[in-house]
Amino acid sequence: MDARLRRVNKEIADCKNDKTSNIRIELIDESPFHLKGSFPGPQGTPYEGGNFEVDIVIPESYPFQPVKMKFITKVYHPNVSSASGAICLDILKDAWSPVLTLKSTLISLQSLLCSPEPNDPQDAEVAKHYTTSKSSFEETAVYWTQIYAGGPGAKKSKESASASVARDEVAMAGLDHAHVRRFVGLGFEQGKVIDVLRRLNYRGKNIHNIPDDKVVEELLKP
Amino acid sequence: MSSEDYELSDEDYYDEDDMMDTQDDDGASAISEDMDTMDDFKISTKPVRKSYEIDSESLSQVAVEDLMNKDVEHICGIFGVPVDTASLLLRHMLWNKELLIEKYMDQPTAMLCAAGVAAPEPSSPEPSRSHSAASGSTTRRSTRSASKLLGLGKSKASSPISPVSSTASKLIPPKSGGPESFVCPICFDDTPDVPTLALVCDHQYCVNCWNAYISSKLRDEAEHAIRCMAEGCALVAPDEFVRSALKTAAVVDPTLNEDTDKLLSRFQELLVRQFVGANRKLKYCPYPGCTNTVSCPSAATKSSLNMVVPTVSCGARGIGTSMTSSQVLERESLGLQAKEHTFCFGCPIESDHRPVVCNVAKMWLKKCHDDSETANWIKTNTKECSQCQSTIEKNGGCNHMTCKKCKYEFCWVCMGPWSEHGTAWYSCNRFDEKAGVDARDAQSKSRASLERYLHYYNRWANHEQSAKLSLDLYSKTEKKMEEMQITSSLTWIEVQFMKKAVEEVDKCRRTLKWTYAMAYYLAKGNEKELFEDNQSNLEQAVEELSELLESPIEADIIPTLRQKVTDKTVYVQKRNDIVLEDTANGFLDGRWKWNTPVDGFDDPENMEN
Ligand SMILES: [Zn+2]
Ligand SMILES: [Zn+2]
Ligand SMILES: [Zn+2]
Ligand SMILES: [Zn+2]
Ligand SMILES: [Zn+2]
Ligand SMILES: [Zn+2]
Repeated sequence: MDARLRRVNKEIADCKNDKTSNIRIELIDESPFHLKGSFPGPQGTPYEGGNFEVDIVIPESYPFQPVKMKFITKVYHPNVSSASGAICLDILKDAWSPVLTLKSTLISLQSLLCSPEPNDPQDAEVAKHYTTSKSSFEETAVYWTQIYAGGPGAKKSKESASASVARDEVAMAGLDHAHVRRFVGLGFEQGKVIDVLRRLNYRGKNIHNIPDDKVVEELLKP
Repeated sequence: MSSEDYELSDEDYYDEDDMMDTQDDDGASAISEDMDTMDDFKISTKPVRKSYEIDSESLSQVAVEDLMNKDVEHICGIFGVPVDTASLLLRHMLWNKELLIEKYMDQPTAMLCAAGVAAPEPSSPEPSRSHSAASGSTTRRSTRSASKLLGLGKSKASSPISPVSSTASKLIPPKSGGPESFVCPICFDDTPDVPTLALVCDHQYCVNCWNAYISSKLRDEAEHAIRCMAEGCALVAPDEFVRSALKTAAVVDPTLNEDTDKLLSRFQELLVRQFVGANRKLKYCPYPGCTNTVSCPSAATKSSLNMVVPTVSCGARGIGTSMTSSQVLERESLGLQAKEHTFCFGCPIESDHRPVVCNVAKMWLKKCHDDSETANWIKTNTKECSQCQSTIEKNGGCNHMTCKKCKYEFCWVCMGPWSEHGTAWYSCNRFDEKAGVDARDAQSKSRASLERYLHYYNRWANHEQSAKLSLDLYSKTEKKMEEMQITSSLTWIEVQFMKKAVEEVDKCRRTLKWTYAMAYYLAKGNEKELFEDNQSNLEQAVEELSELLESPIEADIIPTLRQKVTDKTVYVQKRNDIVLEDTANGFLDGRWKWNTPVDGFDDPENMEN
């Protein structure tokens, strides 16, 4: 049998049989080379209570070339692209070793959620948020976990809660409602205000570095 | 290649002994000792070197390997280490022998670990997984991966520094009747009798996995440093290990045989490339599939590139050129010689960009790239008549245009009245700078500067285009000539004169093309005027020859045409020589001044026009 197929089949089976770990690997369609992995967000982090799904593509020369993984679930994390789910992690690149497995790689992703590396960011805006105001960053991360990863907040009253939070774009962007209201009060559209404040990193102590006229100037740009 | 060429190449070589002096002594002796292995050397035979030519030498892969081996032996001798160890150390230090000796004498253990020859002491908490000094983030992050938790790739405490004299590898024969059969931790294969291999770290994997891993490194990543497959293990497989792993895999699975040969030569090529890449006096031929190297010590320094244009050739032709296969076929079907592997030694431009020096050529290409939108606009085949503003379309090769509506006759290239061009369109090679000087406000200034750029760009692009058109034309002509050879008394040899002319036109248009890049940046003044005189003379001659090539071919005019074309070809050659020679001398004398700062030249502010 094809060595790659044998190895992947065994990896999938091993993962199923392992009752102790909470890593899951499932088929998406018939192909064993395009899979979906998932794991719970680590405890004691803003991702706690969420379930994170990962798209897994097994390349032709696996396991001698690294597996390709990206988050399907939206994650607010400096090393994960908030738009595409792309992940910045050494073992997915040049530090890959053929002895690593799908399960061990997913565990590494889980531990990446515990220990962000803002100095080697995948998402520069999120990393800025993390470094300027960790508590505000964590609020947004918790928020995203609730909305996208089925976190605890969403469980309480699933439908109504998720419907109302889904509209709260201010919290999604990690911004303060009062700040957004202030500029909306000047007659700017809320979407635009959120976009500009997010880009300027209008958060935490950093707001003292950004004069109002700078914000307005940005808002006036077409 | 004839046997004379070989003899000449020997002479060339001895003449060039001096030039090798700048390289370290053993480099030079390596070449002279191996003269008999230089059968593959293809050195262009140039009895007298012109000022626009540069001394260079083509080295076959074997010859480069000899240079490499000399360095390795040198290090073996000093350190008392085996060949494979010396190779890994040298590659790690990018073949900087002096630095390697200094560092190794200071801290041999650290050096061996850094080069992946030996594993660090087990006490050191985190094995550095980087084999190149430059990768910081990987070591920092290595704690993240979790294989240790899963007991995968379980490493026995890595062995302390192993005796350097061992070859740092183990080929373990299939374990016969061992207490527990081996299960490869990568492919999970537990078939008995599959050989396993490990480096000194004793991380064992089956030979099939090693084979697949090595092929993936060599093919997918073009990586010659084959690190141990265990996570976090920084050992690098010695050459002997790599080769024996590939060969053993082919013994286990004979269907791999053909592949193995390819992989072995790929490995060798990557090793040679790394060595060549680390040596400023050497450059690997950029033509795909070619494994020759060119040595050009006189273009090895940055400053030398402001004095000479190091156009070199590896000597090989044809297969593996940068042309698409259809272009190659086209040329071959025309009976034109397959293009020589000509490239610039000093910059990444894979063709002859004489007469202009690398820095200026690069500036120009960058400008054309940045302004490609404008350039595309100008390249379109419609323009407005400058007299009646009606749209005029160009549908032929000739630049003498007549507006259908108002009958205005003009030059397609400069849009100026044709009458001012006399009988030749080429007198439009000079840009009228007055418009730029007269421009007062910012808008007309920027318009003037755009027009100035377009003036040069247009002519640059036109020569490129015309060279292609003359090849097309030749294919038609050639057919006719061959027919004539049957219907008339002319011999085949007698109808070949066109070929030489077409090749010459092609060459000269390439020169002309780059003269426009040069002229765009040349500061105004006498020197520029003389340059443009030479440019104009060449352009005129080339256009006249092109026109001759377009003349209708009839059997009875062939003898006259032949004489005319041959004479013109010789003349064109002479004009091309003058442009190249004079420009090259100008660089040597520091005569050329630019209108904008160019790396390595004095700032234009400090000079007078
Ligand atoms: Zn194996
Ligand atoms: Zn190892
Ligand atoms: Zn070549
Ligand atoms: Zn160049
Ligand atoms: Zn007109
Ligand atoms: Zn003109």
